[in-house]
Amino acid sequence: MPKLIIDNIPVEVTQGKTVLEAAKSVGITIPHFCWHPALGKAGACRVCAVKMVDGPVKGIQMSCMLEAQDGMVVSTTDAEAMAMRKQVIEWLMINHPHDCPVCDEGGECQLQDYTIAGGHGLRRYTGKKRTHVNQYLGPHIEHEMNRCIQCYRCVRFYQEFAGGTDFGVMGSAGRIYYGRVADGPLESPFAGNLVDICPTGVFTDKTARFRARYWDYDMAPSVCPHCSLGCNTVPAARYRELLKVIARQNDAVNGWFLCDKGRFTNSAVNAPERPRVPLIDGRQVAWEEALAALLLRIREIGTEYGAESLAIVGSSGLSMEAASLLHLLHEKTGAGSLCYFVDAGEAQQSATVTACLNEQASASMADIQAADLIALVECDLLQDGPMMALAVRQAWRRGAKISLVEDAAGTVAQNDNGLNSTDKLPFEVERVASLIDIPFADAAHPVIIFGGGDKMSEVMAEAGKTGAKLACLLGGPNSFGAALLAKEYGAISLAEAVADKKVRAVVSVEADIPPELLPKLVVVATLDWRNTETVKAAHIVLPTTAWVEMDGTYINNEGRAQRFKKVMQPGLPIKGLNPSLHPPREHTPLVPGGQSRPAWEILVDIVHRLGSEEDIQLFAGQWQRLRDLDATGNGLLLTDIERGIK
Amino acid sequence: MKLVPMRRMGTRCNVIMEQPLFQHNKPGRCVTFAEYRDEGGFAALQKALKELSPKQVEQAVSDSGLRGRGGAGFPTGRKWSFVPRDLPGPRWLICNCDEMEPGTYKDRVLLEANPYSLLEGIVLASYAIGVRHAFIFIRRGYETATANLQRGITECLAAGLLGENILGSGFSCTIDVHSSAGRYICGEETALMNALEGKRANPRAKPPFPAVKGLWGGPTVVNNAESLANVPGIISKGPAWFKALARTPEAAGMKLFCISGHVVNRSCFELPLGMELGEIIEGPCGGMRPGSRFKACLPGGASTPYFSAEHWQVPMDFDPVAKAGSRLGTGGIVIFDQDTCLVAATLNLVRFYARESCGWCTPCREGLPYVVHVLETIEAGKGSREHIAILQDHIKLLNYAFCALAPGAMGPVQGLLNNFMDELEEHIDKQRCPFKARE
Repeated sequence: MPKLIIDNIPVEVTQGKTVLEAAKSVGITIPHFCWHPALGKAGACRVCAVKMVDGPVKGIQMSCMLEAQDGMVVSTTDAEAMAMRKQVIEWLMINHPHDCPVCDEGGECQLQDYTIAGGHGLRRYTGKKRTHVNQYLGPHIEHEMNRCIQCYRCVRFYQEFAGGTDFGVMGSAGRIYYGRVADGPLESPFAGNLVDICPTGVFTDKTARFRARYWDYDMAPSVCPHCSLGCNTVPAARYRELLKVIARQNDAVNGWFLCDKGRFTNSAVNAPERPRVPLIDGRQVAWEEALAALLLRIREIGTEYGAESLAIVGSSGLSMEAASLLHLLHEKTGAGSLCYFVDAGEAQQSATVTACLNEQASASMADIQAADLIALVECDLLQDGPMMALAVRQAWRRGAKISLVEDAAGTVAQNDNGLNSTDKLPFEVERVASLIDIPFADAAHPVIIFGGGDKMSEVMAEAGKTGAKLACLLGGPNSFGAALLAKEYGAISLAEAVADKKVRAVVSVEADIPPELLPKLVVVATLDWRNTETVKAAHIVLPTTAWVEMDGTYINNEGRAQRFKKVMQPGLPIKGLNPSLHPPREHTPLVPGGQSRPAWEILVDIVHRLGSEEDIQLFAGQWQRLRDLDATGNGLLLTDIERGIK
Repeated sequence: MKLVPMRRMGTRCNVIMEQPLFQHNKPGRCVTFAEYRDEGGFAALQKALKELSPKQVEQAVSDSGLRGRGGAGFPTGRKWSFVPRDLPGPRWLICNCDEMEPGTYKDRVLLEANPYSLLEGIVLASYAIGVRHAFIFIRRGYETATANLQRGITECLAAGLLGENILGSGFSCTIDVHSSAGRYICGEETALMNALEGKRANPRAKPPFPAVKGLWGGPTVVNNAESLANVPGIISKGPAWFKALARTPEAAGMKLFCISGHVVNRSCFELPLGMELGEIIEGPCGGMRPGSRFKACLPGGASTPYFSAEHWQVPMDFDPVAKAGSRLGTGGIVIFDQDTCLVAATLNLVRFYARESCGWCTPCREGLPYVVHVLETIEAGKGSREHIAILQDHIKLLNYAFCALAPGAMGPVQGLLNNFMDELEEHIDKQRCPFKARE
């Protein structure tokens, strides 16, 4: 552990850290553009200059390029170092536009901050500014090359980190250009990270452009609901509209990045057709009326078909808070079935995965990145967990061997488009016929990634034999939690319940009843925030809040419970003033369209109305440990607790 | 401005010199394989493979005092000694023949006349370092030299001087000629390796140094063509002979000096290191052109600070030139007479470097065009004292660029400010270029 002194502060850092990181660890920010924790050093921008006063290296040095060593004495405030940093800003500002007020990046721009911090105010350069032609890069990312400061972060991320090939750096000297050979949508499923990683406004989120400044946003730490990996995010909203989602750093899960699915497929939150008011048979009603009607309908079902014919159905997308209350509704209504999954396959898969991860060491995304041998079994990474493909790529870049186990027919899973998406994986794979063909014994940190199919027992046996860590892909953001609950309450999937128990009616809580089942069932009520087919078929619709509109918990694919916080108020987005109401003369405490309530809150209400006197607490019994979960940090790994690891 | 009177230094120049590189040259054509062999060529290779161990070859080159001819002047033998011999995997040798410095054309002259010294030198170096595969990275424009090398390789292969089991010694070595895509930065050794690997020709961070982790991650030696071409002479005639070729005891060997500018004979001469600047101009160069008086020169190519008349007696060797505030560089001497505007000349040079920057780091990519702009402003008669301050800032701060291109580019600017400040100030005070007729 090297010990050094930076600006008179003694610092000790782990071996291999740079002087820049050492300074950061004691709160000294050395300006930097090209250096990025995930991408490492480049030495391109030269703005992190410091003076090495004593030690193995002397003089002006780039702190990002210099490994911290014993005996180093560093000054970040040395006059020459400051002169260099100031000069770098002047150089960069020679060609950067002076139009921050009309730039979408303004206010969240690293170049803007450092330009102001360095005191560069007067322009000495009297020549013209360099200009470029921008490209169309698809519907999500705006390209403004004139703003570029050539830090090479974008291309280092896109090509090196993410394995993209359709975007790169062209030209030389003062004509460096980052783009595609021709206009066209960026092909990488991780392209959206260019928005986060660009230190200035070359790449901005087209879907949120010019909608708000950084300080206008409602933001909170959140978790992505689009697959089972639980990537950490920061959704940004304004005026009750979710504008964009950016990645939140969590080295145990997603690192610094996010896939495009997680970033760009959130428009359902703002959808005009979203249910925002309680409905009875399509008629807008007050909550009181809707809940009373629900009780009545449940009773009618009981009279008509018997309470046994009712099923309470949750889903893998439902927050742990609501999911853990479903059994109360089941008990109080006397319903015949309690289902946490609709699909039998998904229920089976989640059950086996949770069971085996309680026995077998689960691999976090950090473990996958550090692996030296990875076996892919029955999984479609780019479809079911793109960020895991990115993690595998990092292992592959470090020299890990990646083996893909083909199924009996010698083929691999095909995605929804009928394409074999393994062809697009951002790493090279060796195809093998069976797990047995993979030399696990030679590996120090082997990992098996399993999509959860027929080969479960084979995978379990091999993992147990070889000590390989196991990473499994599940269906939804809370599949793991739902499977634990299903086991606790002996629940079965709706598909099985319909087949076995002659279910005639359902109360759906954020579940998607498949089209083949819908005609067979009476959807008594649906609690949901999306305008799904189940919502359309329901007699009573109770609007819930989306994940960004409430606090909640998901348990991800490795059994990691993660808390997400309320980002924004539910309600119709404010789209400017209504001219006929200007100036507004009527005031109401009600938020238009703001009647959505968290699903768990509605469940508590219904259970009380069904006659429960008791005070219902969230996370009772074994789930108490989720109560104090913090939205920051690494969450709580339940599988470790199961196996007695603290 | 000081101008020394012309002096005749001719006598010493008339001494007949041994010319290890040019000895085989034939007028108007390339030497043939048979001629080179019959004139004693490949003797060094035979001797080394039969009598000397690799270590002994390296030692001979170290003892000879041979310093890299590509510009930096790093001792060639020491460079070889840095290569770890115990690492698994191949080691590589690259001959840097990507000669693009304005004013430097020695490798072209050398290889258009004789590719065999270089090929022999490469095999010797490969033997010393334990390289099985060497590359010649050559400037695209050097078509004749490339053809000569390729023909030479074919002939050497046929004669068993290259390829498998050379001369029955058990040592095998192949040479590939790679035509560069053609950027100045490709001459920077780490950028060269990136280019050879098919990547963008951006320099790499050092450490790790190429000797430890270079081409495809393997230990790599990058030597200039002229350096390698000198190796056969050192091996066949001994390090002491080579060292004694120089004019001064501190210097070692002969050097190719490429002359351009306002002198009578503009050509590439093989001369002893340590000859005084004036001696070279008065002797082989045949003096200044009629009507021209010596004002300044770039002593070692376009990236070296100007010498003025006060440097007339500086011995042209690495250390004395460095002591006098410039660099011997590649030995490309560009001579300017009294009618040359050095602001315009400097501008012309910096323009080249600004254009040839790879664009990786900010100081080079943005700083050099800034310097160009400032010099343009001064040359256009719109300069101010602040511009001199900006130039001084750049001379200092461009040292902190990623590689040596930007500091090198500032060489002439530094020379301008050090030796010709009065000329620069005259541009600013008169608000015009004093060398241009008043409009």
